[in-house]
Amino acid sequence: MGLPRYVAARIVWAAVVSLVIVTITFVLMAAAPNPAIQEAATQAALEGGDPQEAVERERELRGLDEPLHVRYLDFLTGVYTLEWGWSEHRSQPVTEALSEGLYYTAQYSVPWTILTMLIGPLVGVYSAANMYSWKDHLATGFAFFGYAIPNFFFGIILLLLFGVWLDWIPVVYNTDVAVFSLENVRQLAIPVFVLVTGSIGAIMRVSRNESAEFRNADFMKTAKAKGVSPLRAYAYHVMRPTLVPLSTTLVGQLLAIFLGSSLLVEVVFGIPGLGRLTFDALVAQDTNLVLGSTLIFTFIAVIGNLLEDIVFTVLDPRISYDDR
Amino acid sequence: MATEKTDKPDRFDEVDWTELAGTRRRDLSVNSLGMIATTLPLVALFAYDWRFVGEREATFGAVGLEADWSGIDFMFVFTLLLFCFYLVLPLYQHPRMTRYYWREFKRNRPAVVSLGWLLVVFVGGLLGPLVLNAPQQDVLAGHQPPVFLSIDAANVAQCLGEVRGGRCYGTWQYPLGTTRGGKGVFRTIVYGMTISTQIAFITTTIVAAIGVSVGTASAYAGGWVDELLMRFVDIVLSFPTLLMFLLILYIYGAGLGMFIFVFSLFAWGGTARYVRSKSLSVAEAAYIDASRLSGAGTYRVVRRHVVPNTASSIITQLTLLVPGFLLAEAQLAFLELGDSELPSWGQLISAGRSDLAFAPWIVLAPGIVLFLTILAFNFLGDALLDALDPQTEAETER
Repeated sequence: MGLPRYVAARIVWAAVVSLVIVTITFVLMAAAPNPAIQEAATQAALEGGDPQEAVERERELRGLDEPLHVRYLDFLTGVYTLEWGWSEHRSQPVTEALSEGLYYTAQYSVPWTILTMLIGPLVGVYSAANMYSWKDHLATGFAFFGYAIPNFFFGIILLLLFGVWLDWIPVVYNTDVAVFSLENVRQLAIPVFVLVTGSIGAIMRVSRNESAEFRNADFMKTAKAKGVSPLRAYAYHVMRPTLVPLSTTLVGQLLAIFLGSSLLVEVVFGIPGLGRLTFDALVAQDTNLVLGSTLIFTFIAVIGNLLEDIVFTVLDPRISYDDR
Repeated sequence: MATEKTDKPDRFDEVDWTELAGTRRRDLSVNSLGMIATTLPLVALFAYDWRFVGEREATFGAVGLEADWSGIDFMFVFTLLLFCFYLVLPLYQHPRMTRYYWREFKRNRPAVVSLGWLLVVFVGGLLGPLVLNAPQQDVLAGHQPPVFLSIDAANVAQCLGEVRGGRCYGTWQYPLGTTRGGKGVFRTIVYGMTISTQIAFITTTIVAAIGVSVGTASAYAGGWVDELLMRFVDIVLSFPTLLMFLLILYIYGAGLGMFIFVFSLFAWGGTARYVRSKSLSVAEAAYIDASRLSGAGTYRVVRRHVVPNTASSIITQLTLLVPGFLLAEAQLAFLELGDSELPSWGQLISAGRSDLAFAPWIVLAPGIVLFLTILAFNFLGDALLDALDPQTEAETER
């Protein structure tokens, strides 16, 4: 099986996975009583109407009286044509609310991802080059600290320290500042720092252990014998093979933190991004928006995993496609 | 070695054929016998609780005890029994290997400290609720500072300790201070240890059970079964568990039991993949061929040779999984989306957030405990990797 066929098969598989998850979501939603219907019944009872009749009307209005397979197909078409309904709580279409959230999420996610991908492998390789020195121990200690400290707890502490006591950063997130301004950098510095410490640890460890393997490889001895400078030797001969296994952990790590911690970090710092949107929707009982944000995170996860696999195969020509 | 009183000689050149021949019938080991003997009363108690004890009555009401057990408690005791009979007892039965592991493990000092800390959490979680009463609301005792620390007397309704120079000092009644509602932080942390211990034990048991079964089945069946199971693992691995849990929580509402169920049901993917690749490599080994030649069936080969030989890597992997669960529980409790009745660490962090500026201990104490626990699990996993798996060490030394 060649590369194009492998990529095609992998894309089909990603579609299947997303379909499975969407189906599970549908089953979960269909098996539960819809709060809107309960509400309609209560409303009718309060106004002296017939609750039964109100329930019937509401069901008809929402298309719940149709057979299950019709509703399932409708749901699928809706999901894949991005017709995600109306958000009661925000009074706007769900997709619009999500894209607004994404705008704020991207503002801290992009610098966070770039910094993690730059600093993680660099420090890891540096750590391997100075293995068992105090620099290595310092980096290792930092790595362990980073992934052991809960992001939301770290965020609260830093906010208290720099926002309340030292007054260096604004405590309340301001949505009015321009994206590329010093103000924005100031208010996003701590959230980005918290997320980078959280995600960098695992990447540093993996790149340290992987590059330790190549440090004494024959090609490094040859390079040294030829008189290649250590910097160049590490950059060209150690960094490159290290990046291959690293790419598999990298995306998974970032996604895990993106799905979990960014929600918390947004709540802690008051950033009105996707995570905050999900949280508000949960609290406000806005079913369409809850569903929409679940779906968008799911799609991000599926596409992330797909890209990871494809990048991995492109980077490492030794991989056999049949082995997957 | 001759002085040791173990069942089997520590020599491999002598084979007790009568003993081996005896094991052909499914003779139960001491471990399994003990497990069955202790599980049966537990099941009986569960049936009794389920069938005869009312919804709001305590499980042990008939014998005059207050304790009321929920499904999680039964599950927890069951996992504890498993842990005793299949991990602690075997270590006791094989003192030579235990000493070897301990020697290897001891070389990693942070890991020994970590193990000590985890033991504190475990014992605190197990015995704490028996010794200490549950933290009670007491509005008058709100915002008391920890011992040796003080707070501006204007911030407390009533100072339980002495007041010196307008500052209220902490008392030993509340060693780590109190929350806004007057709940003792120390007691809440001890009760939170119970929850964390329960999460750690139950999830690892479920994950190990599913992961090992799917992994070995996949490796041994091969063909389309293997393909199907591994594709299923792919789905499990790319499943956004936290979000799905939020969705379930939103639709149905969910307590700790649901949390444990959902998270362990979607966490075994990595373990299954790991076990599969490990059993495939173990299956190539010469001793597997040898036992096959001596007439061992597939079940016996898997049960006696493959699973025990993958155990070390499974234990390491599970150790590194646990902190993820603890963190997820804390995150949900922090968002106040979990069971609000549960005195967990995350809940305490969330409760103290609004008073952070003048009463930081409410957030700091549980946060640091959570941090140390996660750190300890990571150190422990690292050390176990070195201690249990001689191959990895050989690789690093090369």
